Amino acid sequence: MKRIAAAAILAACIVTAQAAGIVRVVTRDPAGRPVGDAVAYLVNLDSPAPVHPPADPVAITQKDQEFSPYVTPIVVGTRVVFPNLDTVQHHVYSVSPAKRFEIPLYIGDSKEAIVFDREGIVTLGCNIHDWMVAYVFVLSTPYFAKTGPDGTAEVPGLPPGRYRLAVWHPRAGTVSRDLVVAGSDDTTQVVSVVLKPDHRIRRAPDAAGAGYR
Amino acid sequence: MRFTRLIPRALVALPLLALARAEDGPYPSASFSGVWQGNVTNATAGDGVLGAFTLEAGGDLTWLQAVDFSTMLSAGVAATADLCTTFGGLDKISAGPRVELRHKLGLGPYAPALSFGIEADGAAFSDSERSHVDAAAVARLSQRFDEALQLVVEANAGGYAANHDVFSGSYASLGAALNWDIDETWRVSATGGWRDGDVVAEYAAAKSSTGWVPIDTGAYHYTGPRQLVRTFSEPFIAYRTTAPTWSWGIGVFPAIGPHTSFALQYTRSRTSAYDTYVNDLVSAGIVHHF
Repeated sequence: MKRIAAAAILAACIVTAQAAGIVRVVTRDPAGRPVGDAVAYLVNLDSPAPVHPPADPVAITQKDQEFSPYVTPIVVGTRVVFPNLDTVQHHVYSVSPAKRFEIPLYIGDSKEAIVFDREGIVTLGCNIHDWMVAYVFVLSTPYFAKTGPDGTAEVPGLPPGRYRLAVWHPRAGTVSRDLVVAGSDDTTQVVSVVLKPDHRIRRAPDAAGAGYR
Repeated sequence: MRFTRLIPRALVALPLLALARAEDGPYPSASFSGVWQGNVTNATAGDGVLGAFTLEAGGDLTWLQAVDFSTMLSAGVAATADLCTTFGGLDKISAGPRVELRHKLGLGPYAPALSFGIEADGAAFSDSERSHVDAAAVARLSQRFDEALQLVVEANAGGYAANHDVFSGSYASLGAALNWDIDETWRVSATGGWRDGDVVAEYAAAKSSTGWVPIDTGAYHYTGPRQLVRTFSEPFIAYRTTAPTWSWGIGVFPAIGPHTSFALQYTRSRTSAYDTYVNDLVSAGIVHHF
């Protein structure tokens, strides 16, 4: 009897695993070039899945007076640390409604992790080095991935159902469409993303001018 | 009297004190440029206007000390070497310290920033009577309106003491620069400025029975210090006077990486003393922050 019950449970697990779909997202701009640093995420329209923040904090580093990574997708409740690998101090801050905070003036590890407890897009800056910028995308769905330099991302483990696929990029906003994931589907969605010009604050120095005195 | 002796010592001590406490640095930078000055004699039109080309090389070290999350104290030393290919007497080397306190009035790149600083410099010319020490107080307001547009307004008040009195003086100035960053690579800048204070005007001289005299009799209106100078290809008489100078200019600064950029600049200045002196400066250079 026990063996039969164990076999049934095992079969149910296998069926469940086999029933999870994968959506591969391919992002391209109108010229056909891949778009990296885009966050692709799926929201189950039938029964939204709960999110479980990771036990370990996520790290966004400062190196060579730039944030890395440029875009970091996380789920609500995730802790984020900001280790400073530079020899110069940074003052990390955000005034975004989804998370306002300041970590003033430190080198090395930040003293405490910041918990991102609201869904939304958080823009990071450094109050000393104005050109530094990065984004944290706080999600309330566990199904997400970030595109790499080749413009592709895979979102695995999708139970069957209706989903809204959305792709967000800092220079494009959000593009979305609805789709259905059935069983162990392995589908590819090509998403066209129109990027606005990349206009960041200039970092390069001005040469000291030769002026009349 | 004791107080005035303390001033130059304080100007050197202040940045050294800041350096001793600084947490970050040094941050070195280097620059190299070629400068054409159309009226290096500062003469009136048709009377000894001479142009000169100078190669300039400079180095700078900066230390930083955070005072609080919005305030930064910086101190540094800068040195330059000028080689005037036209008139060797204008070759010079200079070096000096500076200290600046910068406070940002808020968070983010669009918060205005106020700076107050002191700069000092000692310059040694080949034409030694031009060698001088100088110091200036500087106040600066910087305001970025968006990623592309920034306004910088700067006020200066300073003085310089040269080996010969004719090249000494004091001044006050106010200038502004509007920087437009077309993209991360190209910056275009428009500048304008006003300066009031001592200037040196040089008039071509001729030998007379009473000695060297200016060819242009307008020079006789100047009653301040004067000196025969042999810096240029012919004798000139230098006169010190007080006059306002208006200037305007444009610059293009293409970046060739996050730490390096070229600089192409043109500045025209116009000094209105008894006579009018017009100067054109064209420079091309490169600066690198290590």
